[in-house]
Amino acid sequence: MTSTQETTSAKNRGNGSAVVIEGLTKHFGKRVAVDGLTLEVPIGVVAGFIGPNGAGKTTTMAMLLGLVAPTAGSATVLGHSLEDPSAYLGRVGALVESPAFWPGLTGAENLRVVATLAGHDVAKIPGVLNLVGLGERGADRFGSYSSGMKQRLGIAAALLGDPELLVLDEPTNGLDPAGINDMRQLIGRIAHDQRSVLVSSHILSELEQVCDWLIVIDRGSLLYQGPTDGFMGAASSSLSVASEHGSDRERLASIVRSQGLVAEPEGDLLVVQLDAGDARGTAVAISRAAAETGIVLAELHTRRPTLESHYLSILEGDDR
Amino acid sequence: MIRALRAELVKVLRARVLLITAAAIVMFAIGGAAIVLTTAEPATSAAPGRGLTLEALAQAGGGTEIFLTAASFAGFFVFVVFVGAFAIEFGRGTFRTMSLRQPGRLRLLAGKMSGLLVFAAGALAVTEAATWVAARFIAPSQDVITDEWISLAGLVDGIADFGAALLWVAGYAVLGMTIAVLVRSVPVAFAVAIAWAGPIEHLLQDAWDAASRSFPGLLLEAFVAGGTPDVSALRAGLTVVLYMVAGATIAGISFSRRDMTA
Repeated sequence: MTSTQETTSAKNRGNGSAVVIEGLTKHFGKRVAVDGLTLEVPIGVVAGFIGPNGAGKTTTMAMLLGLVAPTAGSATVLGHSLEDPSAYLGRVGALVESPAFWPGLTGAENLRVVATLAGHDVAKIPGVLNLVGLGERGADRFGSYSSGMKQRLGIAAALLGDPELLVLDEPTNGLDPAGINDMRQLIGRIAHDQRSVLVSSHILSELEQVCDWLIVIDRGSLLYQGPTDGFMGAASSSLSVASEHGSDRERLASIVRSQGLVAEPEGDLLVVQLDAGDARGTAVAISRAAAETGIVLAELHTRRPTLESHYLSILEGDDR
Repeated sequence: MIRALRAELVKVLRARVLLITAAAIVMFAIGGAAIVLTTAEPATSAAPGRGLTLEALAQAGGGTEIFLTAASFAGFFVFVVFVGAFAIEFGRGTFRTMSLRQPGRLRLLAGKMSGLLVFAAGALAVTEAATWVAARFIAPSQDVITDEWISLAGLVDGIADFGAALLWVAGYAVLGMTIAVLVRSVPVAFAVAIAWAGPIEHLLQDAWDAASRSFPGLLLEAFVAGGTPDVSALRAGLTVVLYMVAGATIAGISFSRRDMTA
């Protein structure tokens, strides 16, 4: 397929999508950073972009933002080809890698440089500084900021142009727990009004709470893309069961097995894997059977898979 | 490009930068005028082709000639400043920040250069005026009569000297930008610039006759000095312009084609 055909193809699929990537590839010398990546970010979603270090997340984002030229493949951002970043970058806010500003300038002055360069309204700077929690520190030099404050200023710069698409690479880097919580709420607010967000993070629990779309890549290739529910739906839950007396554990294990279930010991607990279906019904059956044999349960609860646990299990499977 | 130019001016037109620049201008004006005037000798005792004579300083353009002569000693400083101004944008990753807002790389580079040159032009104009004023105060102590300085011919010479100084600064600016864009590293860019403009050009000048007519740093020195026995000011200026065109072309191609990974 020629580059023009690929671009046209990506564009045709781009209706209703903030980002469409088809076969995107990037080589740095002999190293393949991104390998024929194909994915789509629908308009209005908060898309979590996850993968281990070196998976190609930052390189992919850099290509979408015109910083890095792809070796092959095509993409559209907000309906425009990657080959013409000036057609869409004005509608995109981005923070890629660490926030880079001029240390001798204040936070507000840095935003003024960015706004002037992009042709954005400088009158919005105080409001954006307040939005990211830097209203009181806007007059301080960037060089005096903590890493969390620098990160916030990076987000502020990304928000200056009232962007339709926000591309954030590890936005919670350097933030304290309160800052992470603020960031999560901020992303949630940004996602309203048909805005789209593509956000990468190593803190998967944060993504789980805020993302409704997931893209999982490893070694430059796609492992999963789709709704977060769909990703998590493929993961199996388990039940944790413990008897009042440790001496009853073997009898309890026999009862569980008699229900046709697999039980693995884990400390004082038995962990019962649930392939699919009714976790609650299974818990009732185990509880009833234990009571009938005179075993009192001290613990019985469902362990739902987390994004992190499922992500790690997928990566382990991929390694195999 | 205009937005990039204005953004660059936002960075430099700050109280802190302006105060530092003003202090440097005052020091340069007083120091430069004093050095040039006190080292000038009568035409009868001056070595041919070396420095300004007291008689030349008394002519209409003498006041601004002092500025140009003093500026010629600062070429190395100007060169290093411009190398640093561009290289540090790579070192800090701020070219990446700027590229996200101005994806037209050539416009970004040209805008940044234009902004710096606008600032430099303003600083040069103020420096020229300040040096002229300082020289008028110091000149009587050296028996230099300055009546001719305040004349239409003096103004014309002053404008011509300003133009020469601006081309001289622009030459160093483009060469500095080219080195910075090619090596993309502050320490390496400084090392290359200092090594080339310092020992390499001047050592080769001693060993190779054509060096004075060929190397950009030596040509810039010759141009701002009004020519040397080896090369005229006109030829030096034209060759410098060719270097500037070549440097800007190379820097532009490199900046627009290479990935912005820093």
